[in-house]
Amino acid sequence: MTTNRSIGNWFKSGTPWIWLNAAAVSASMIMVVGLLALIAVRGLAHFWPATVYEFDYLQPDGQQQRIIGEVHDSEIVTRGRIEASGVEVPGDALEVERLLVKTGNRDLVGLDFRWLLEPRVQDRDTPADIMVVERYEWGNFYGFLVSVKQEGRVVASGDAAWQALQERLARATELQHRIEDIEKGRIGDINYAMEKLRLERRRLELEGRDTPDNLAAIETRRERLQDDYEVLQQQLGELYGQLRRDSFLATVMDGREVEVPLAKVVRVYRPNAMGPVDKIGFYFAKLWEFVSDEPREANTEGGIFPAIFGTVIMVILMSVVVTPFGVIAAVYLREYAKQGPLTRTIRIAVNNLAGVPSIVYGVFGLGFFVYFLGGSIDDLFFPEAQPAPTFGTPGIFWASLTLALLTLPVVIVATEEGLSRIPSTIREGSLALGATKAETLWRTVLPMASPAMMTGLILAVARAAGEVAPLMLVGVVKLAPSLPVDGNPPFVHLERKFMHLGFHIYDVGFQSPNVEAARPLVYATALLLVVVIVVLNIAAIAIRNRLREQFKAYDQG
Amino acid sequence: MDKNSISQHISRQYNTELEDIRNKVMSMGGLVEQQVADAVRSLVEGDERLADVVVNNDYKVNAMEVAIDEECNVILARRQPTAGDLRLLVAVIKTITDLERIGDEAERIARMAMHISDKSQVDRFHGRIEHLGELAGKMLKGSLNTFARMDAEMAVEVWREDLKLDKEYDGIMRQLITLMMEDNRSIPSALDTMWAARSLERIGDRARNICEYVIYLVRGKDVRHTSLEQMEAEARSKPSS
Amino acid sequence: MNEQTKTHAIDPHLVERREVLDISREDICIEVQALDLYYGQSQALKQITMSIPRNRVTAYIGPSGCGKSTLLRCFNRMNDLVDGVRIEGSIRLDGDDIYSRSTNVADLRRRVGMVFQKPNPFPKSIYENVAYGLRLQGVTSRRTLDEVVERSLRGAALWDEVKDRLHESAMGLSGGQQQRLVIARAIAIEPEVILLDEPASALDPISTLKIEELIYELKSKYTIVIVTHNMQQAARVSDYTAFMYLGELIEFGDTNTIFTNPTQKMTEDYITGRYG
Repeated sequence: MTTNRSIGNWFKSGTPWIWLNAAAVSASMIMVVGLLALIAVRGLAHFWPATVYEFDYLQPDGQQQRIIGEVHDSEIVTRGRIEASGVEVPGDALEVERLLVKTGNRDLVGLDFRWLLEPRVQDRDTPADIMVVERYEWGNFYGFLVSVKQEGRVVASGDAAWQALQERLARATELQHRIEDIEKGRIGDINYAMEKLRLERRRLELEGRDTPDNLAAIETRRERLQDDYEVLQQQLGELYGQLRRDSFLATVMDGREVEVPLAKVVRVYRPNAMGPVDKIGFYFAKLWEFVSDEPREANTEGGIFPAIFGTVIMVILMSVVVTPFGVIAAVYLREYAKQGPLTRTIRIAVNNLAGVPSIVYGVFGLGFFVYFLGGSIDDLFFPEAQPAPTFGTPGIFWASLTLALLTLPVVIVATEEGLSRIPSTIREGSLALGATKAETLWRTVLPMASPAMMTGLILAVARAAGEVAPLMLVGVVKLAPSLPVDGNPPFVHLERKFMHLGFHIYDVGFQSPNVEAARPLVYATALLLVVVIVVLNIAAIAIRNRLREQFKAYDQG
Repeated sequence: MDKNSISQHISRQYNTELEDIRNKVMSMGGLVEQQVADAVRSLVEGDERLADVVVNNDYKVNAMEVAIDEECNVILARRQPTAGDLRLLVAVIKTITDLERIGDEAERIARMAMHISDKSQVDRFHGRIEHLGELAGKMLKGSLNTFARMDAEMAVEVWREDLKLDKEYDGIMRQLITLMMEDNRSIPSALDTMWAARSLERIGDRARNICEYVIYLVRGKDVRHTSLEQMEAEARSKPSS
Repeated sequence: MNEQTKTHAIDPHLVERREVLDISREDICIEVQALDLYYGQSQALKQITMSIPRNRVTAYIGPSGCGKSTLLRCFNRMNDLVDGVRIEGSIRLDGDDIYSRSTNVADLRRRVGMVFQKPNPFPKSIYENVAYGLRLQGVTSRRTLDEVVERSLRGAALWDEVKDRLHESAMGLSGGQQQRLVIARAIAIEPEVILLDEPASALDPISTLKIEELIYELKSKYTIVIVTHNMQQAARVSDYTAFMYLGELIEFGDTNTIFTNPTQKMTEDYITGRYG
């Protein structure tokens, strides 16, 4: 009886609710922090130079085998599961540990990952002179350096080889940079200019102005470009020749000696010989490469800079489009439209728009923006490029427009909310000074509502940056040849396709030929996506807070 | 409450109004003082023309009372004065009543001066009446000065003068009674003189009242109907506002 | 100076009675003729006829909902903002009907400034608040603006308090300062009339007195109409007082008379606190 009453009182006091709330908040916090921690740990660990082991492994057929590689993962499995896959397990333990070892050398052995059963590992060793080579093709190479060759002749071997390799690799990297500079930069520019010329010529033909004079002028310009191109091509040939000069010889785990040309090498390092300071330096170099370089090897290696860039540009473009539209719509709805059933209906429609699945926007964007609007634009302004579409194909502009449409309701609702919170005394104060309604809006009301607009924009940015599904239809590609903003006039190329972090995650994680190798990249990219969104949001929040400070006026009353 | 605090309101208009009232009270006081002095002189010197002037000037005193009264009403209605301001207005309203009565006494003395039939009979009292008039005039002047300066301790001093005045009045009364017993024919003129003395004594009483109002105004304590010692104690106490 | 011997001087003109205000001798600024105002079906003002004299302070008093604010808002057509308001009768400002078709409302509001119950400075700097009206009129000259801002702030007795922080936000001022800033903002565009809608009801007593003092000083240049819940305030600041009740004008006269000897019993009951 007494207990019942005291429990009843306890319930009445509201304490259980407080506990319930606290529990809910804690659960949410744990989930969010856990999520971020998982992504961060998995993603960031990828760049750490892992120790490379040399295993003595007893094959089921009784042969000893040397296996060299990084321990990628380990798990405890039951004997039954392994035996079911036809592998014999030594000893009588019910559970065995097995290791996933990244052995690299995909070009030599076909598989660059292997499972090793712990009980069969006879011995493991970490020889300091194991060398890891990152290559432009075929993934990592693991082996022991034997000698360095120049044009087929051995120039260094033994202890001196490592030093020589470093020096020659520096030279090769320098050459690579120059080649890249010419290929991507100058030849790229020439190609762009040639394409422009081709379109110009085509336009002249379409417009019937293809007089011999005009054509000849174009032809001369084309020839000049062609000359430039040939000069560059020759330079390139020379550079490639120089690049092919060096190579090195190394033994791999099965004892074979393999020759690797330095032209294929990104970097070499000996993780087992590195001290902590070296490892940290290496770590940050890798991290920098990740955020600043272009992807290689079907996106499984290298960096993801184009994806970051594409995401940011797309979000900025979207903001530029959605803010004026949303604000104007909200101002009309709140300030000018006669409040009645019609405006109520419009508000409901706008709110419901926010609930439409994003892929539907993608379909709409593809149908309306890309094919209808883009097609019309092509017909009107870019007939010379036909039948190849210019705007009539998915691109960053259409992607931004689609996302702007997707986030429009958020901006409208937030702006309306902000407008409705501005006290009528402020409007009256302005009107009483002889201002018209428009002047009042422009000079007083809108500035005061700007923090609310920024809030809407923040929500819009948060939503847009993470959206992938509609983008797949209206502009995102797994590998874009050029950035949407570059040095060629008109500098911003709205029609280009672009890369996006969200899509990149999907692509690397699920479309990659080498899923195992790409998994850490998925985490790292996810982390980066979160970071980009957080940075965009923080920037917007900082602006909002400044505006709020400036117009804090009537928060108190 | 002291003299300066009148001019420290946020509303300058209010300052002006209060200052104005005070000045008007002082002017009225000055007029009444003049009337009393003239009346006594007309009586003592038998100057009927001067007496006539005094009688004719009394309307001015009355008009001033009405004007100040009205102004006080307006201030009370519009400003809702409090504390020192309220005491000032209450003191002013009471003071002008007493001043007006003093004016009436002066008029009465002047009228007497005009129709005292046998002046020779009372000639020997002229010296004493003149002295009494001087004492009353001094008290009146003193009370007005106290009001002007808002000085409570000085008010007690002036108040104390009234004891002398009373003593002098008693002396005159005794002499007049003696005169009347000695000489029946002198009774009418002796009575007139007695009335004049009585008026001067009343003037002293009213001047004393004004001193009490000043103590009330300055110290916020009502000292009417109390002993002189108590009044002195109050006057010397710390100002209450 | 020996005060004991000096007689107090007589100043004969002090005997004269106080100057009495008389509406029939005033220069009329706003003339209201048979004004009716309806909110939808309900009538808020009934047959108001009165004259507001120039360079005087005219106060409206009356219980809540008596229509005094509504009437005030007719003078600069602030009621236009409310849906469903219908007005009959006429209001003439210097002889021009302000409800005629040819009236430009923005111009009218420039001539008839208004200060509201709650201080409503814009969330801008003090300077920009005062310059707001001028900027609306397209004044950009820095010198003109500087001059007007200083003059207006001085006129609103605020200059000394804010001259060192003109470019700081007006929201940092106290309530009383904000209200004086709003008054400065109103006088910056040199209106003829200033309407004050319970200007001190949100302020502390000292700020209230400062505003009242300001009103007293402003009346030499502007015609001032003030609505107040506080009849003592009306008594303190106004030259003329109108008492309204349930949309009707019960009594209108000079403030001294209204507060010492009103002619209507209803007025007397209200100002003495016997009403209702």
